[in-house]
Amino acid sequence: MSDVLGDFLQASVRTATPLALAAYGELVAERAGIINLGLEGSIIAGAFGALVGAGVGGVGAGFVVAALAGCAAAAVVAVVVLWLRANTIIAGTAVTMLALGLTGTLYRALYGAQGAALSVPTLGPQALPWVSSIPVLGRALFVQPVITYLLYGLGLGLWWWSTHTHAGLALRATGERPAAAFAAGISPARVQGWALLFGGAMGGLAGGVLVLAQVGTFSEGMSAGRGFIAIAIVVLGRWSPLGVAAAALLFGAASQLQYVFQSLGWPVPYQLFLALPYLLTLLALAGTQRRAAAPAWLGRALDDDAR
Amino acid sequence: MVINIAVGITMACSAPQKSADKPATGADSAFSVALLTPGPISDQSWNGGAYDGLLRIRDSLGASVSHIQTKTPAEFEENFRQYGAKGYSLVFGHGFEFQDAAARVGPAFPQTVFITTGGTRTSANVAAMSFAFEQPSYLAGLVAASVSKTGIVGCIGGTELPPVKSGFAAFAAGVHAVNPKARVVTAYLGNWDDAGAGKEQALAQMARGVDVIYQNADAAGLGIFQAAKETAGVYVIGSNSNQNGVAPSVTLGSVMIDLPHAFIAVAREVKAGTFVPRVITLDMKSEVMQWVVNPALLPVIPARTLHMVDSLSRAMRDGTFSLSFPPRPTGNP
Repeated sequence: MSDVLGDFLQASVRTATPLALAAYGELVAERAGIINLGLEGSIIAGAFGALVGAGVGGVGAGFVVAALAGCAAAAVVAVVVLWLRANTIIAGTAVTMLALGLTGTLYRALYGAQGAALSVPTLGPQALPWVSSIPVLGRALFVQPVITYLLYGLGLGLWWWSTHTHAGLALRATGERPAAAFAAGISPARVQGWALLFGGAMGGLAGGVLVLAQVGTFSEGMSAGRGFIAIAIVVLGRWSPLGVAAAALLFGAASQLQYVFQSLGWPVPYQLFLALPYLLTLLALAGTQRRAAAPAWLGRALDDDAR
Repeated sequence: MVINIAVGITMACSAPQKSADKPATGADSAFSVALLTPGPISDQSWNGGAYDGLLRIRDSLGASVSHIQTKTPAEFEENFRQYGAKGYSLVFGHGFEFQDAAARVGPAFPQTVFITTGGTRTSANVAAMSFAFEQPSYLAGLVAASVSKTGIVGCIGGTELPPVKSGFAAFAAGVHAVNPKARVVTAYLGNWDDAGAGKEQALAQMARGVDVIYQNADAAGLGIFQAAKETAGVYVIGSNSNQNGVAPSVTLGSVMIDLPHAFIAVAREVKAGTFVPRVITLDMKSEVMQWVVNPALLPVIPARTLHMVDSLSRAMRDGTFSLSFPPRPTGNP
């Protein structure tokens, strides 16, 4: 029994890992007041970057190039939104579409119509001593690829950073009242730019996880909507680092439940199972308190005279 | 749900990736052929095979060719119209899902022949190819059941299209012909791109004891091969193209459609002006459908099974053995 449960929880954390990485990136961007719909583009760019990087320098290089590629996609959003002052939603969507198309085209140009096959080195699970032998939870949390442990550190680090440092305060102030932040000597546009780049790097790492810790190859469109799910996870997690972790886990578990239900062979239309993660997310959203938790300036343009 | 819709829209807008080799200039130009695929041609499966077929037409018949990747039904029709308006001689809609769009667009462009690879609709200039997935899938089922140690085998598909479903049903019939007590569990991913989902679904089946998986999920199927590579004693059966090279250490064989063969045969007829719209049935007799065993894994398959598969496949090629079985429940309806 504990074995089945352990399997399930381990797989849930595995599925949640790329979602949580991307969601942390989006969390920082939204804390600065920007909804980055280019996140999906960063993920697919990261996945492609991971393929190229790992082919040249192994798994480590793969993750580095993944983060840079995700960052590059977000940089386009940053330039268009902060410099050219275009609409954030449109700019993000455009970058996502561009990245999905461009990675497919580059993939064919570099690897031919045959693709890269399953040639990419992958990062296997690495059991941590001591903690991995905790019953049930030990295997779920501590028999994972190294990148998942970095993710735990990132979650805690973000929480501490955003509440205990001046820079963290500047980030949150920008998302709440950019004019006030400006009056306090902070440049909201600069904060938003860094937040976007950080978010893109995290999205890129999420794509890297898909290639380097899960599938072992790239396939066109393999981000498969994870960027949009990550954005929903930020909302579900009420814009807090720990809430985002919980929401990503919920979504990971719901996806795994879907796989398990289908593999049991129950005579239920499979579409119902496929809808399960989304239904659970909707229920969770409807169930959370309606207290405003969103940054007050989220999705609004900066004032021209207080950037 | 909202998320799903948002993804659908972005995909729709991003999808058309045109790779026109030599665009045709008009109705009076030489023989021109276009291909619409529902997914990326780098999937080493359904779409990759069709692209190979298109290139074969270009090389053998000197046609100017064009390919476009589509995603939504709205695009199917739009792209059919574009190629019709440009005066293309022959347009392939690669899949069962294209048949409604072909039927609607066909009458507007009588000079163009529209062919969907799947389906049963025909009209003055619309025809369909019907692949007998059942035949090699049945043979794959025989192999799967005799290799499986647990008596539980799995099927994983992209979406529940009729050809996918009937292939799985024939596979299950083959499995039960060898081992009447075997269980066949079937799962669908809901899309053809998410290789991560393919891997997770495969791992979930393996956790239930599945040790042979028949995959028909195109690009998403790459994740299924990866899952098998990482799990000892689990094998995969590929589909649509010869996928034995994707993961040679775990792939028992492939249910293969020789799409280039099928494409060039029909293109020849269209070029010669002898084409008659019909449902073109392609099976093992026409050698378009094939069961290709992976030579590297021959030792894993019992000799008795190999012998049985050989004689049955010869009989199917001769047309002396026709498959008729009641579709059996395979776990999921």
